[in-house]
Amino acid sequence: MSNIIKTLDVTERLDNLKQVCDLDEGRIAGEIFYSQAIYEQELEKIFARCWLFVAHESQLVKTGDYITTTMGEDEVIVVRQKDGSIKVFLNACPHRGNKVCFSESGSTRGFICNYHGWSFDTAGNLVGQHESGIYEASDFDKSKWGLREVAKVDTYKGLVFATFDPESPSLQEYLGPMTWYLDALFDNQEGGTEFVGGCIRSTYECNWKIAAENFVGDILHAGWTHDSAARAMLGGSVAKVSDFDESYSVNWNGHGYEFALDTVGNVAVLGESKLNRYIHTIKPSVAERLGDFRSNMIASVSSCTIFPNFSFLPGQNTVRVWQPRGPNKIELFTWVVVNKSAPDEIKEMWRKGAMMTFSPTGVFEMDDGENWEYCTKTAKGRVTAKQDLYVGLGMDTFMEETRLPGNVYQGQLNEANSRAFYQYWYDLLSAHTWSEVPNRNKGKVEAE
Amino acid sequence: MFTKSAALESVSQDVFFEVAAFLNKEARLLDEERFEEWLGLIHEDIHYWMPGIENRRRENPLKQGFYDKDHMAYFDDSLRDLQRRVARFRQPSAWAENPATRNVHHVSNVEAFVAQAPNTYEVYSTFTSIRSRGLDEEYVIYGRRYDTLIRTESGLKLLKRLILIPNATLSCKNINTFL
Ligand code: FES
Ligand SMILES: [Fe+2]
Repeated sequence: MSNIIKTLDVTERLDNLKQVCDLDEGRIAGEIFYSQAIYEQELEKIFARCWLFVAHESQLVKTGDYITTTMGEDEVIVVRQKDGSIKVFLNACPHRGNKVCFSESGSTRGFICNYHGWSFDTAGNLVGQHESGIYEASDFDKSKWGLREVAKVDTYKGLVFATFDPESPSLQEYLGPMTWYLDALFDNQEGGTEFVGGCIRSTYECNWKIAAENFVGDILHAGWTHDSAARAMLGGSVAKVSDFDESYSVNWNGHGYEFALDTVGNVAVLGESKLNRYIHTIKPSVAERLGDFRSNMIASVSSCTIFPNFSFLPGQNTVRVWQPRGPNKIELFTWVVVNKSAPDEIKEMWRKGAMMTFSPTGVFEMDDGENWEYCTKTAKGRVTAKQDLYVGLGMDTFMEETRLPGNVYQGQLNEANSRAFYQYWYDLLSAHTWSEVPNRNKGKVEAE
Repeated sequence: MFTKSAALESVSQDVFFEVAAFLNKEARLLDEERFEEWLGLIHEDIHYWMPGIENRRRENPLKQGFYDKDHMAYFDDSLRDLQRRVARFRQPSAWAENPATRNVHHVSNVEAFVAQAPNTYEVYSTFTSIRSRGLDEEYVIYGRRYDTLIRTESGLKLLKRLILIPNATLSCKNINTFL
């Protein structure tokens, strides 16, 4: 039998947070990207409490299929069980703490520790040890020393999330109405989605929040930062976002989705006309499935972050986690998501298209990385770290009258989602328990 | 892991000299940002491929051990793809390329064999790519290359390149060069 990790002790709150983050005023300070003290609080109050993305179900097809990843800086193994459920364990042996599984992914009947040969089945039970006789002499109770299991695992439309905190709200409550928007990418066709082609891992010298915030609601940067990539891929500049008649920024619990309704703006930058055609071909069936509104979102100019560090771009179909590795370092894990029902040729085009645009060699991503690293590095200066940074765009754009779910703001050129992201971050760092986290959601839970 | 096609014969000394000169010139063109001339060394049917590396157990490998043609890649490029990358480097709005990245491409351990197809050579080498950006950024990528060169009317051209790095996690933010 495996053992649930005990609730973590929660460290003292920082008393100066208001100085570096005041969202009513629309300002933050670079210190939140560089401070070791803040980072340590984040690991405990955010990464050890929130629901974190760990896998896509398509990576775990058969019993014993596993992947290894991290939740914050904690290494975990994600394994498909005999009964079809998914378990997540610390990837650390309960004997001396050695790493148990060194492979990124694979299929196995169990895990054996290299140090003293403790062996675990895929359900995490300790089933044997080298020199097992001597343990009996010490009245060793095997059933107490299985792999440590995280508190909760749950899925939404193929996306597997886990949390270390038994007190955390349910995944459904945590995601709230964001699921309605997630469906535009993850449930727009019968059969749902799958990941193709494993994972690419790279390293940035930036804070995890600056990257997560970029996807939560910063389309503003695209027209400027990515001009060179757009010209290379399309022979012209990126779609001018301020020209769109209708676009939105929607958030909930620090998650955010910003989108236009132009259907193909994102997929178009891959420069593959067959992909644009695929989107147009499936659109009527998406409209039937999800309604007209969301059929306009499937590959439109848009981006999303699920708090704290799971992000994706519909259309480019890149899915990623910004894994924290210290205040000024991340490991970026990226995957490519496609509709299961899509023709193989289309899946292959997305695998290559995501590489060409959003990957360490992607013509778009190159300019992002440079920006995020220097947003982080300038805060090394003790004076610079205190400088107010402006996040005030779209202060008065909340839409009272809308049929859309979530906290809905007019227009995607808007820092409302960024503010909501940092506000939730602030609220979690300031709260000892989930019940102390203020509910700042003011929109609808369900679509009308 | 890639293995050499069975029992290939080494090329003559003259051809070896020519192949080594080709690789050295290629490296220098990249160092000097002469991308258009570099594209001139590339065959129109190029497959320029640098697969992602996955850290797998020996008994549980991907099709090629630690990489696979269906796996995500850093490069999996045709000539059109390479041209698009060059086109980005050439935009005045490629903000992250100004000031320029300073490159040194180092090639060694060259072996060259007569390939089965007419007028082609299999060429193996190791490389080190050292880049510096800004005041103090330095990135080093090293690995092994498996090339197919083809002799055309306009000289040797690169027809295929497989680039294998040992790293399962790239230790830098990007690869803003060719390898
Ligand atoms: S540390 Fe794993 S068996 Fe001792
Ligand atoms: Fe970007």
